[in-house]
Amino acid sequence: MQFKKVVPCMLALLAALSPWGVADQPALLTFSEGELKAILAHGPWPVLPSRDPSNRVSGKPEAVALGERLFFDTRLSGTGAFSCASCHAPESSWTDNRKRGVAIAETDRNTPTLMNVRLNRWFGWDGAADSLWSQSIRPILDPRELGSRPRQVAALVRGDEQLSCRYRRSFGAPPSATDDEGVLVDVAKALAAFQETLQSARAPFDEFRDALARGDRHAAARYPVAAQRGLKVFVAGACGTCHTGPNFTNGEFHDTGLPFFAAPGRVDPGRHEGIKRVRESRYNLLGPYNDDAARVTATSTRHVMLEHRNFGEFKVPSLRNASFTAPYGHDGQLATLADVVRHYSELNLDRLHADGEQLLKPLRLTAREQQDLVVFLETLSPYGNSWRPEPRPPCE
Amino acid sequence: MKPLIGSGSTTVRRLSAGAALLLISFVSGAQEPLPIFDAHIHYSHDAWQSVPPQEAVAILRKAGVRRALVSSSGDDGQQKLYALAPDLILPSLRPYRSRGDISTWVRDQSVIPYLEERLKRYRYVAIGEFHVYGADADLPVVRRVVQLAKEHRIFLHSHSDADAIERHFRQDPEARILWAHSGFDRPERVREMLRKHRNLWCDLAWRTDHAPGGRLDPDWRAAMLEFPDRFMVGTDTPTPERWHFIAEHSRWVRTWLAELPRDVAEKIAHRNGEAVFGKMLAPSKPEQH
Repeated sequence: MQFKKVVPCMLALLAALSPWGVADQPALLTFSEGELKAILAHGPWPVLPSRDPSNRVSGKPEAVALGERLFFDTRLSGTGAFSCASCHAPESSWTDNRKRGVAIAETDRNTPTLMNVRLNRWFGWDGAADSLWSQSIRPILDPRELGSRPRQVAALVRGDEQLSCRYRRSFGAPPSATDDEGVLVDVAKALAAFQETLQSARAPFDEFRDALARGDRHAAARYPVAAQRGLKVFVAGACGTCHTGPNFTNGEFHDTGLPFFAAPGRVDPGRHEGIKRVRESRYNLLGPYNDDAARVTATSTRHVMLEHRNFGEFKVPSLRNASFTAPYGHDGQLATLADVVRHYSELNLDRLHADGEQLLKPLRLTAREQQDLVVFLETLSPYGNSWRPEPRPPCE
Repeated sequence: MKPLIGSGSTTVRRLSAGAALLLISFVSGAQEPLPIFDAHIHYSHDAWQSVPPQEAVAILRKAGVRRALVSSSGDDGQQKLYALAPDLILPSLRPYRSRGDISTWVRDQSVIPYLEERLKRYRYVAIGEFHVYGADADLPVVRRVVQLAKEHRIFLHSHSDADAIERHFRQDPEARILWAHSGFDRPERVREMLRKHRNLWCDLAWRTDHAPGGRLDPDWRAAMLEFPDRFMVGTDTPTPERWHFIAEHSRWVRTWLAELPRDVAEKIAHRNGEAVFGKMLAPSKPEQH
């Protein structure tokens, strides 16, 4: 399928007067078969929801309600001052827009957005968790984040009438009076059930992609020309090799040449440490808390291998909502999308092993190409985060 | 002829004492981690500030590295370390003034006077690690590098495929080559190359396929048992951050080496490196400028 460039005479006249051509006028650039195939692979959006078999309350409305309540509850923290939402703020697209997350103390990493988090296979910048519920345990216990303990979490759920009631509705029984860890894991599963519902709305790119898919050139031409040019740069630069599929990520880990000193004399080992931690965790999918009796969900955890190259690798983030989730990189070292694009344009090969990331080469983009690529990336964000807390009747 | 086994309480006491000594020796031996000869370290220009020389030397010593073959993009790096710890550092001359030279050096004639000047000023045990593949190994710059190694009786540390290694040896059949990363080749191919070239040694840096999950692969084990004198270990530190991986790497190496007979493990851990490179700088102290 070929789409010919549509440039009416009037627009051609305007183009002659504008250094950026017909950037603000409806027009559809010509996309090759290869480009179209690459573009269509980034949809459709949204991805249909599916239950997490490792979490018996995944998709259960009662658990979603419990998880939402817990997510905003500062009593979950050791100091009583922080909740999950302190760093994953809904008004900031479920992140905090800081370089590094800060709760009880500053962490080494940028707070990733929770938008579309259910689509991950590994969780966290280092993939140290293999399920959303096990990932939800980590910040609760991390002394720099919520700094809590299983006993405190269990006591909260047992002692609070509304939490206890919702727990019973979710799990079919009241919280155990003796098994603190079991209650902690269930709390994490309820938190996961809530986070699974955080899905970004359709973005301008999705309208464009679907218009191309159905051959609607008129609708496709509404997509800004600068974004179309940026999309071409994105495809030509093979950015979609890692930022693949509808969620613009392959969910894997790579060394993109960003420095990974966490502090002078101390590095963040990234995926290398993450693999060790996920294999050692008693909350992993091979452990006793996986609700998938057949352990089909544990296949990746069973087979993940530690390699030297993993040292300094970090998760490929989704590009959806990127406009709202600055700063960028595992420790927020890139302030703007323009900085991200410049990083890949001027990629420092000194930072990459000759037998490491073979695909990564400097894109060597012109200033206009860089601007176009930024415009394209901005079209992967909807017009805002439409999430609002649902009014929920008291649990009885 | 003395009896092999004595009789009476004295003999028993002697045997007990001997057994106890043996036990103590075994236990203390088991507790002593294998020293490491790290045959693949870089200390390039971007590392000098974030991992200062004192810290770099401390990292090596703390990891149980007895000796390290060190090259730098921007040759001053290993000279800084060598000046600080001549007992620990074995300098290798890299034909890169910055790591960006990796893909261009083979056609860059200015590399040769640079190398010649450095070879006049400092002492080295090798030229490398450099990257060259296939027919590029026959380019004039690379040929001259092979000749320089011959003239100075030092090694080549070549990050290359088997084809380039063959070309090095055709240019100088007496060349001594440390094959970086064992060419990232299969163990069968590595064995073929080692059988064919008596002056070829292999480092195992960066790769994990010889010991996936910390367990020695059977094919690699066979290669190591066939050529126990020809393998060395190495961390590879292309970026400053990876200096903080050296200790972790040494621990990992000791894990899979423990599956080999002790004498083979010791050779691969450090004795091969010592035997090959250890005495090359011994006669005199290096010039310092």
